[in-house]
Amino acid sequence: MTMATLERRAVLGLAGALAAGVTLAPGMTLLAAPAERTEASAGRRWAMLIDTTQCAANCTACTTACRKENNVPLFGEPSRDIHWIRKVEIRDKDQRRPTVSLPVLCNHCENPPCVHVCPTEASFIRKDGIVLVDEHRCIGCRYCIIACPYKARSLVYHETKRGAESNPDVPIRSKGVVEKCTFCVHRLDNGQEPACVEACKGEGKGAMLFGDLNDPRSEIAKRVHTVATKTMRPDLGLKPRIYYQGL
Amino acid sequence: MLRLSSLVRFVLTILPIVAGLLWVNPVDLWAHDGQGGHAGALRLELPEGKECVKSAEWMRRNHMDFLKHNRDQAVREGIRVKTDSLKNCTTCHTSREKFCDRCHTYTGVAPNCFECHHYPK
Repeated sequence: MTMATLERRAVLGLAGALAAGVTLAPGMTLLAAPAERTEASAGRRWAMLIDTTQCAANCTACTTACRKENNVPLFGEPSRDIHWIRKVEIRDKDQRRPTVSLPVLCNHCENPPCVHVCPTEASFIRKDGIVLVDEHRCIGCRYCIIACPYKARSLVYHETKRGAESNPDVPIRSKGVVEKCTFCVHRLDNGQEPACVEACKGEGKGAMLFGDLNDPRSEIAKRVHTVATKTMRPDLGLKPRIYYQGL
Repeated sequence: MLRLSSLVRFVLTILPIVAGLLWVNPVDLWAHDGQGGHAGALRLELPEGKECVKSAEWMRRNHMDFLKHNRDQAVREGIRVKTDSLKNCTTCHTSREKFCDRCHTYTGVAPNCFECHHYPK
């Protein structure tokens, strides 16, 4: 049974790799250029590699870009503010290791506990491995928020309004649903990279790398296999898809 | 004597109620035949394009299921068909207020799509 699934996966992975279209950066491919019809491919496994040595402590390019792209509002209440991606500083108590600054976002786990606990199946894994919330179904029970060990999810406590500078391509969320990072799924389906990665390449120092882990020719697959990387809380067995380098 | 006063009281209480019923109700009823409220036939702004993705007849009855089906497919399977998207509606039906909202108000339905999704006014 396991062998059969593995084989199926390998075949699907190969198919996904073959289907890969536009090359964004050397060795990195995304979906083909905007087509009339797109569909999530089961052969892909979107993942991100964050090089913490390149992530500057005072840089907030990724978080700002995310807020702008996904219409993530700031209410000025620390306990109720919504974060899809946030900057975290890791200090060694004994000061033997240098302080590291890194962004934390939804890890799009292979075994996501948030999906497991969702009573309405609003949280789900898309075929290409992205963990999403179907806000049309979400009843705002917040089990997923409790289940997520990465604090990646937020409940919308307040009414939000569309502003003049809001992104028309992304819907805002109504009060009482849970929202989180979507890996900029609307951009991925359009053949683009997530907004944070793009911003990190532009204004930041290029610490973020995004791509398809199942595509052996992709830059991320090569880097993850050659460089020492860590995931957060691997002991939980959730198999996160955000890899950190230099942690 | 007693009987007369109770009759007067009865008439005095009933009269305003009857008058009220006679006065208020017809006005309320007239509102539905063109005097107020719906104000006659429903007038929608005609789309700019020539042809819809499905026939107008079919769309009139089924657009809600069509949009809902596409919505679920887009969110959960990532199936995005450009021509069938809500965004594509806006190319012909340029005004939500003069098309979608007018009919929704007329028929008394309140879909909450546009609480979150953007549609040009």
